[in-house]
Formats: sequence, structure tokens, C-alpha cells
Amino acid sequence: MASQDTPVLRSHALPPRGTGIGAGHAGRGLLLVLPSMLWLFVFAILPIGFLICLSFWTTTIFGIQQIWSITSYKTIAADPIYVTVFLKTLRIAVVATLISLIFSYPLALFLAGLKGRARSGFLLLMFLPFWSSFVVRSFMWLPILGRNGLVNQVLMALGIIDQPIEWLLFNEGAVYVGLVYVYTLFMVLPIFLSLDRIDRSVIEAARDLGGRPLQVFWRVIWPLSLPGVWSGCIMVFLISMGAYVTPQLLGGASGIMIGNVIAAQFLNTNNWPLGAALSLALIVLVGLVLAAVGHRLGLKQLFLGERG
Amino acid sequence: MLSRSWSIALKIYAAAFFTFLYMPILVLVALSFNDSPAMGFPFLGFSTKWYARILAGGELADALTNSVMLAIASAFIATTLALLTSLGLRHQFWMKGLVFPAILIPVIMPSIVSGILLLVFIGFAGLPYGLWSAVLPAHVTSVLPFAFLTLHPHIARFNPALEEAAMDLGAKPLKVFTRVLFPIIRPALVATLLFSFTISFDEFIRTLFVISGQRTVPIYLWVLIIERVAPFLPAIGVVLLAVSMVIAGTGFVLSQRTLRPSNT
Repeated sequence: MASQDTPVLRSHALPPRGTGIGAGHAGRGLLLVLPSMLWLFVFAILPIGFLICLSFWTTTIFGIQQIWSITSYKTIAADPIYVTVFLKTLRIAVVATLISLIFSYPLALFLAGLKGRARSGFLLLMFLPFWSSFVVRSFMWLPILGRNGLVNQVLMALGIIDQPIEWLLFNEGAVYVGLVYVYTLFMVLPIFLSLDRIDRSVIEAARDLGGRPLQVFWRVIWPLSLPGVWSGCIMVFLISMGAYVTPQLLGGASGIMIGNVIAAQFLNTNNWPLGAALSLALIVLVGLVLAAVGHRLGLKQLFLGERG
Repeated sequence: MLSRSWSIALKIYAAAFFTFLYMPILVLVALSFNDSPAMGFPFLGFSTKWYARILAGGELADALTNSVMLAIASAFIATTLALLTSLGLRHQFWMKGLVFPAILIPVIMPSIVSGILLLVFIGFAGLPYGLWSAVLPAHVTSVLPFAFLTLHPHIARFNPALEEAAMDLGAKPLKVFTRVLFPIIRPALVATLLFSFTISFDEFIRTLFVISGQRTVPIYLWVLIIERVAPFLPAIGVVLLAVSMVIAGTGFVLSQRTLRPSNT
């Protein structure tokens, strides 16, 4: 440090030492974060208040009226279809998360074992598809699973089937394929990061003490990778709960999720108050899950992979 | 990390995984060149007519222009906000603990709900559902958390001793930023801009709810898919993929470069 060699300079009125530009000015930190905080307040937090108001208003043939009522919530409680779709969405999100975990974990292990250029290369290969639109990535499955799709063509060419299989698309199964395909990166990445942070000497020690590969995995590697596993599961679960594009394109009538029901209230049937009430129900449901897990792990760890 | 036989098994698995990951993309590229009147197989020969068709229409060009302008604007706004926030987080201040959770709100919020929140907000505020009045705020809100998560680690690990040295030598805070901090974090800033660009370029769900009349490329593609499955759809998909992959790939390479320890 240059300053240590210049005691004369240091004795003058200089900025107090701290962590970089303007450290010591408590107000400056607040001032710097203010623009983004204001932005988020206006565009992400304030609208929740509007949404709550809207959910208590009423739709009539004249449009939305500012008449306060709990009609929307009564509708949700009275018609079992909404509860059914919520439960189905929960189930699809949980199953998609688990499938994603099973497929992603071995890949994360593979990536964590790489070094240098191979690691950068494979990471790039992993990231590349996920930087493109998920509309395209969901859409891609239509020409694969469709009636004239790749799967049917290959099976027919091999003589395994005579007629194209119709049930490959437009059902819950196709939604799983789409969701897992579109969101795997959010599972692979946090698991890779937490595997990467494991001290190699711990694994070597376990091996030197006579641990067989499977034992070393279950007793050492798996427990140490759990933060990443949780983080990945939460991310995929969250995104799947709010899915709209994938079920809309691949799910057909039987693969419908709550996102599609909510969107329909705004885009098709124009029942905004009901849509607002359903949105709030979804926020609460997702919030409860996040609170249960986030409370144990902490947000920073979930999203930055930091400990504690 | 694992024994030899395990690592061979993992390699085979990785080959299968990447095949699964890239197979649909290759199928899409193949179909975009398929000389067939219907989307799908069999492959009837190589043709670039679908690319000629989408470029001739002018609709794609309009959508591309809208998307690129929005992406540039939201990348700059979101990166600036993320930079200020990351710089601010290096200080201690009142309620500092709330900044991180607040930044993550757009990520945690189910995407469908965030689209609706903006739709309702624009309605309440009485703003027109236009490209710049409604879609731009939507894009910045969606990009901001990712811009912050990309940039923050680079700023947080920046060695404050360098700035202290400059300050000890009498440089004013703004000068310390432009002459010391900025040159070192510049590749990270460029990477953040590029990532932000692609997130905005690919933004769909929020845009769907607040756009009216005009189109971005993902909206254009969506409208076409919903109306009918046309044979030129794969070509549009490939154009979308190519733009995002090239720009984000460049960002990735740049960001790897600054995270190396030699720069701090």
C-alpha cells in the first residue's frame, strides 16, 4: 500500500479509510442504492397494492366497477376448478423440479470435475441454449413431438409403429418435457457451484480412510452439495409455478396450469378482478413455500450461492 | 473428484445430456432449411426460401428494430442501476439488509404475475400501453436483478486498496471512479450490458401483457404460433436464437476474463 510509506500525507485531512470510494459517508451508500430501490418500489411493489384493490372490485357488463366486494374470492372458493388447477400446478411444479434434479445432478458432478479450458468450454455449452428465448425453446418441441414430428418419423422409419402416435403432445407429459428442458440450467448451475466449493482434501481424506466411491458420495459429497440442491430446486419450482408459455404451447387442455387460467382472465374473458384474486393466491402460495425454505437457508445463499 | 470408473460413467452421461440439450436446436435449424410446404418432417431438401420469406415481409424487420432498440435502452438503464446499487452496497447504511431481497423481487415473483402487475400498474397510472411508456419499464424491471447478480460479484471483490491509494494521493471520488474503478471493471460492465441486452431481447411474458399494436420479436413469433403453425416459424426461431446466443456468448467470455484473480 502506497499510503503506508507516506505518513506525512496521511496526517493531512484525507478521506477516512474504509472500503473504497467515499467510505465513511453513510449517506452516500443510501444515495447510490436509491435509484434502483425507487424503480423497484414503483414497478414491482406498488403494483401489488393496485392488484389487491383490483381483486376487491367487481366486473359488470359495463366493465370493471369500483364497487368493493369479495365476489372474486367467493368465485374461487365456490368453483372447485380453481382449487383443482392450483393443486395440479403444485404437482406439476414439484414433479418437474424432481425430474430436473435427477437429470441435472450428474451433469453438475461432471462439470465440477473439469479443469481449465475444458471447464470454460463445457460451461459455455451449458449456458448457450439458455440465453435464448424460452418461447423458442418451448416451441422447438412441437416439430419433435408433433404428429409429423421427429419422434414419430423415426419410430415409423424403424418400423416400430405404423401410425403416428398422437399422445406425445398436448398433455401433462409434454409439459414436463418442456419445463425440464427450458429450466435445467437453474438446477445445474447452483449444484455445480456448491460442488465446486467442496474442499478436495475432504474427499481425499474420506477415500484414504477407506470409503468406497458410493460411501464417499452419500456421506461426504451429497451432504456438502445440499445448499446448491436446495437453491436449484427452489428456482425451478418458482419458475414452474408461474409457467405460462410451456403449458400453453405443449400442454393442450389437460396440461393447463394456473398461469394459463390467470392470463385468460386478463387476455380473453376480461374478468380482471378474478384474475387479480387468483394472482394474489399464487403469490401467497409461492411466498409460503419460499418462506419455509428461505427461512432455513437465507436468500443470499439461494441466489448467490453464498454461505450463511 | 471421483474415481475413474465413475468419471467414465459421468462422461457418457454428459454426452447424452448435451445431445438432449442440443438435439431440438439442431432439429429447428434443419427445419428452417426444409423445402417443405408444412412445418415438420420428412426433410424434402435444402432451401433458404423461408429466410427469404421472413426477411421480405418487413414484419420481422419491424419487430427486430423494436426489440433491438428496447434491448439497448433497457440494458443501459438496468446496468446503470445495477452499478449504482453494487457501489452503494460497499458502504454501511440504514436498512442495507433490505436491498438484496428487494432486488430479487422480480425474480421471486411468478413471471405471469409480474406481467399482470405491470398491466394493472400501467392501467392505474393512466399511461399508454406503448413501447416506451409500458414495455421499456417492464423490460428494465425484468433485467435489473440479473444485471445486478452479474455485476455485483465483480464490484464486491474489487480491491478497495487501489481506490484508497488514489484517494490518499488526493483524487476526488468521481475521479477515483473514472480513473481507477471504471477501467478495471469495464469488461464486467460490458458483459452485464450484453447479458441485459439478451434478457430484454428475449423478454416475453411481461411484454405480452403491456404491449399493444407494436411487436417485439418474441411477441411476433408467439402471435404466429398461436394463429397457425406456419412453415417459416423455424426460420424466425433460428434468427432469435442466433442473436441471443452470439451476444450472450460474447458477454460470457468477457465476464470470465474479469473474474480471474489477476485483475484484482
